[in-house]
This record gives sequence, structure tokens and C-alpha cells, in this order.
Amino acid sequence: MATDKKLPVSRRGFIAGAGTLAAGTMGFPLIGGAQPAAVKVGIIHPVTGFVAYAGSQGRFGATLAVDDVNKAGGIKSMGGAKLEPLLGDSQSKVEVGVAEVEKMNEQGVAAYIGCYQSPVGIAASQAAAKYNTPFLIDVGASDLLVTRGLKNVFRIKPGFGACVDQGISLLGDLNKKANGVAKSAVIVHESGEFGTGTAKLLASKLPSIGIQVKEVIGHDNPTRNFDNIALRIRSAAPDIVMMSNYQNEYVLLARTLYQQKVNLAAMYSILGGGFNYKFAKEQPDVSQYMIDVNHWYNPKSEKALALKKRVEAAGKEFTFEVYLAYTVVDLLADALEHAGSADKEKLTAALDASTFKAELMPYGPTKFVNGQNEGGRAEVMQAIKGDIKVIAPEQFAEMPPVFPKPKFT
Amino acid sequence: MRHLALAAALLAAVVYPLLVPNYLATVGMLMFFTAFIGQSWNISGGFAGQTSFGHAAFFGVGAYTSTILQVTYGWNPWLAWPAAMAMGGLVGAGIAVLSFRAGLRGSYFALITLAFAEVFRIAANSASITRGGLGMLIKADQRPINFQFKDQIWIYYLAFALCLVSLLIAWWLTRSRFGARLVAIRENEDAARALGIDVFTEKVKVLALSGAMCAAGGTFYAQKYLYIDPNIAFGIDKSVEMLLVTMVGGAGTIFGPLIGSIALTTINELTRAAASVFPALKNVQPLSLIVYGAMLVLIVARLPDGFASLLGRRRHA
Repeated sequence: MATDKKLPVSRRGFIAGAGTLAAGTMGFPLIGGAQPAAVKVGIIHPVTGFVAYAGSQGRFGATLAVDDVNKAGGIKSMGGAKLEPLLGDSQSKVEVGVAEVEKMNEQGVAAYIGCYQSPVGIAASQAAAKYNTPFLIDVGASDLLVTRGLKNVFRIKPGFGACVDQGISLLGDLNKKANGVAKSAVIVHESGEFGTGTAKLLASKLPSIGIQVKEVIGHDNPTRNFDNIALRIRSAAPDIVMMSNYQNEYVLLARTLYQQKVNLAAMYSILGGGFNYKFAKEQPDVSQYMIDVNHWYNPKSEKALALKKRVEAAGKEFTFEVYLAYTVVDLLADALEHAGSADKEKLTAALDASTFKAELMPYGPTKFVNGQNEGGRAEVMQAIKGDIKVIAPEQFAEMPPVFPKPKFT
Repeated sequence: MRHLALAAALLAAVVYPLLVPNYLATVGMLMFFTAFIGQSWNISGGFAGQTSFGHAAFFGVGAYTSTILQVTYGWNPWLAWPAAMAMGGLVGAGIAVLSFRAGLRGSYFALITLAFAEVFRIAANSASITRGGLGMLIKADQRPINFQFKDQIWIYYLAFALCLVSLLIAWWLTRSRFGARLVAIRENEDAARALGIDVFTEKVKVLALSGAMCAAGGTFYAQKYLYIDPNIAFGIDKSVEMLLVTMVGGAGTIFGPLIGSIALTTINELTRAAASVFPALKNVQPLSLIVYGAMLVLIVARLPDGFASLLGRRRHA
């Protein structure tokens, strides 16, 4: 019975069809082979955990930049190769960050970008060093990141050491112009590597500009109540409160000091994690006249202003995590262009010799020394009526500083 | 039959890193490492019934002791390791003496251990010898003599060996008079005392053993990641992790922490990997934590005695 069954296709038709299919199958890889392979980039941020907002902002900035590079034709020296982002969540944990590095290495990444938190960045870049894979720090304040002698780590933004130097120098100038109104300070910092390191530097350098440190107060992450710390500050009665902490704690401390009407000449933060447009817009009274020394975009850059519009149109805030991650992807694309290859050694050499111009930032040409860009610098901003304006350096300033700030009535 | 299954599992664990890529070897290493520190909790919390919320105190003491000896005093990390274990044991015994002398039991003991871990964390944040919140960095020098390995496989085998040792200790507890005394204390402390067991001494001994084991885990962690800070070393999430793998696997059983660690690490990795497998999930990684949490609830609700109860063996008694 079965042998009586006939195929609904004739033998000639079958052979013709099979031939076409075979030719198609054989030809496809040839056409496919003409396409340059995508360059895989591992992007690791804490998109869950207590700094999830900042991590998500970093991821958003990096993916936006990848899209822009690809839309602009990819890496031209590599035949228009596209960047392919592999997104990783460190969950704010060192071991998860390292596991992401291992996983992405199996997937063949050419470089990593991350990790926001310094401890995660320290361990993750160490893991990447085993594979000689370049690791570009977008956000991560600790100077330990670039002082370990690892050849694969590159940080375009200044670390907390440089930011403190810049911040102290400007505060000294401001105070001098205001006839030395500020004579004492209290430093409040988160108790991790970033906050402690910054606070230690501040405490050692403030006396050099005539400001005495009355107290250094550390706090945990997360801290959900700053009433006691505000009371300690009130009893110490300093002229300035200097803060170094992450988003939520920064905002909460500022709000508590405002609610308790603690009179100060200034709230002056170095790398204040919560000093951004979101804070200024949502809490204009609290943020009014607060000063922050931080990574900030170049307000005179057309490219930066256009990107700001796009980011805000997408319903996001234009925070430093966004434009630093964006800048780092641009730096990577530029290095790939010069290397003409995703080969790790060539890419590392291209990064090492990079003279990339970070258009979004107020930086000079990039020059890496032991992985730290010496062309980077911070800016000083002040919140004013729900907005943020640059007050220094002079060539980027959008308004004169208000110092000391008016007292509570 | 059981011996055959054990031999097959042992062989599979030995061969596993030779067959899989580095990432999966890392996942395997994490499973064994978590099982090891989970077992340290199980020995005091599961076998002796002394539930602790602050085992991170021992973990951190181990991590900091070996790191300080190595970085500040130039010790070889292999020599610093037993010193860290001794310190963990001492701290375990110290906490036990202070707590049990004061007659603390059950939830009161659990809370005092949590408080001790917090005290250690704050002390590490403030002391100059630990470099406070700046943390301590161990110089990368990937030679076995430095307890650092270029090839991931060796750190896997080390974690595997630690896990095996911890299983042997748990097995010994099920066979020894010391283990029997601990079970008696767990089931009814007053009855155990009436039987002539020196409850105080036995509890101090088990806390010292548990503390030394957990401290060994702390040193292993520091050597693997080469950086510790007070939150990493003494953070509450480490205490929760140890407790969780034991509860999910089966407290008071030999294989409970290992089973719990395999189950939780697998769930965690699978839910995280979902974001890479399904492009639509790329930006919703928090979803993996929701799924992880939901699965935990299911496990606890459906298997209150842990996965080990599926093997037909309830608590060791």
C-alpha cells in the first residue's frame, strides 16, 4: 500500500527545488561573511539594589550611545561593524559583577563598561584583567580603580582626589571673595569607599583654606532617617556642610537640614550623588543654592545640549551617569576606529594612546596615564529655582555663584 | 546504591569544570562556596538549634584577619588562613560565652548575633587597621603560592574541597557523641541538662567550630575577589545567604546547605540569564529578582523542611 503513494512533487521539480535550496544555503554564508562581525560590549551596572536608579541611568546612557554609533554607520575602519551591547546587572554585589564579567567573556566581549560602585568595579576589572580585556570605568570615584597597575583599566572622568582638589580650590576662592564668611565645616559621608575616601581628603585639605573641620560624620547605606545627624550638625553650628553620598541619602539629608532650618553659608558637596535635575525640579526649595562639585556636561556644547533634549524627551533625567556612560561608549568607538580591530591588545593600545575629544564634557584631549585620563575635570554647579547652573570654571560658567546663601527667616 | 550515587556525584563534580566554560565553572565555584558557608551556619543553627542572624561576624573576621596579616604584616595568605580560622573560632566562642552566660536562647540569641555582626561592621568602618570604609585591597599576583590562581579551575577545586570537608564534618556530627549531644540540646535544652550534658560548654564548642569554618570562608572570599570593605565582609546579606541556603536545602541535614545552594544559585542564574535569552527582557532585570523571590516563597510554603525532605530524610535525630 505504501509503495503506491505518490509524492505530490515530480522528481524534476524536487531536484530543481533542492538545487535552489542548496545554492541558497551555500550562498548565504558568503553574503553573511561580507558583513563585519559585531563588536560585543559588556555593559555592567547595578540596575537592581539600593543604587538601581543611578545604575539604570548609566545603562540608558550607554545603550543610547551604542544606538547612535550604529546609526552613524558603526566602526568604519572595521567595515561598518556594529556595536552589540550585552547588558549585565551587578545587583550591587561584587560576586555578581565578577560572574557577569565571566559570562560576558564566554560570549566574546571586546571590552567592558561599568560599574558605578567602586568595590564592584575594582573586582570586575580585576576579573577582566585575566583575559586582558579593556575595562572602561564610566562612573566609579575610587582612585584604587586606577592605581593598581592594571593595564586594562581606563577612566575618562577624574577620580575623587582630583575633584576634591578642584572643589577645595574653588571654595577657597568663593570664601575669599565673601570676606572669609565660612570658618568651619561638618563633613557628612556615606561609609563606603567613595564617601570615606572623599571625606578623608576633605578633612585633611580644608584647613589649608582656613576652614576648620568640626566633625566628620559617616552614615550607612541605606540610611532612612537623618534627624539625629541633622541635630548633631545643628549643635556643631558649622558654616558649611559638606556631603559625599549616594542619591537617596543625599536628598534625604538635604531635606532634613531644610526642614530643621539649619542655617548655613552653603551646603557644598563633592560628587553629591543626588545633585541632579530630578532633585532640583522635584524639591526646588530644598535644593535652592546648594553647590556641588561633580561630573557635569559642557553647557556650551551643542552636542551635549542636543543630547539633553533627547534624553528629556524620552522621559529621563540628564544625570551624570547618562552622559558619562554615553561618553565612554564614544571613547570606545573612537579607540576601535583607531585600532581597526576588536583585538584586545590592539584595542588596549589604542585606548592607551587615545586623544579622544569628549565633546559632551568640559574636558581637554584625552591623555591616559596609568589608565587615568589627565584631561578630565569636574565643574561646580549651583541649584537655583528648580534648575542647575554651572558656576565654575569661568569659561563654562552660566551664572555668578550665590555665596553665602540667604539665611532662613 | 546510595554509595554509587555519591561516587557518581563526586565524579561529576570533579569532571564538571573540565567540560564547561569558565562562567559555568564560576557558577559551580559559587555553589560550593555558598554551600560551605551555609554548612558553617547549619552546624550551629541546624544541628545544635542555635539560630544565628549574624554569622557575617565570623565571615568578616576571617576575611579581615587574613587580609590584614597579608597586606599589613606581609604574611603568606596560606599561613594567614589558619590564623583567620583560629580568630573566627575565638570570636565564635567569645560570642557564645557572653550570650549563653546571660542565658540568651532562641530568638534572643539570634538577635544578639545580629547585633554582634553590626558592632563588628561599625568597628571595621572606624578602625584604622581595617582602613575603615576605604576597604582593603589585596595586590593581584596570580601565583598559587599567593593563594591566587590564573586558571579559574583551581579556585573551583578549592571551593569543592572546602565543601567536601564541611560535608565530612556534618557527617561526623551525625555519628559522634558530640553531634548527639548537640541534637539533644536542640530538641530540649532542659532535658539535655537533666541527662548530664554540659549544655553551656557544648554550645560554646559548636559556636567556635562554626565560627572557625565561616572565617575560613571569609578568607577564601577575600582571596578570590582581592578586595573587602566593612559592608562586604560584615553585611547582613551574607548572614541571610547562609541561613537561606540551609533553610531551603534542609536545616540539620548533611546535604541541606549543598542542595539549597545548588537550588538557589541555579534559580538566580537562570532568572538573570532570562534577560539575555529573551531580548524583550533586556531592560527588566529587576524581574529576575521578583521571580527569584516568588520561587523562594513557593519553596518555603511547599517544602518547609527544605529540599532534603524530598529525599525521605527529615532532620537528623
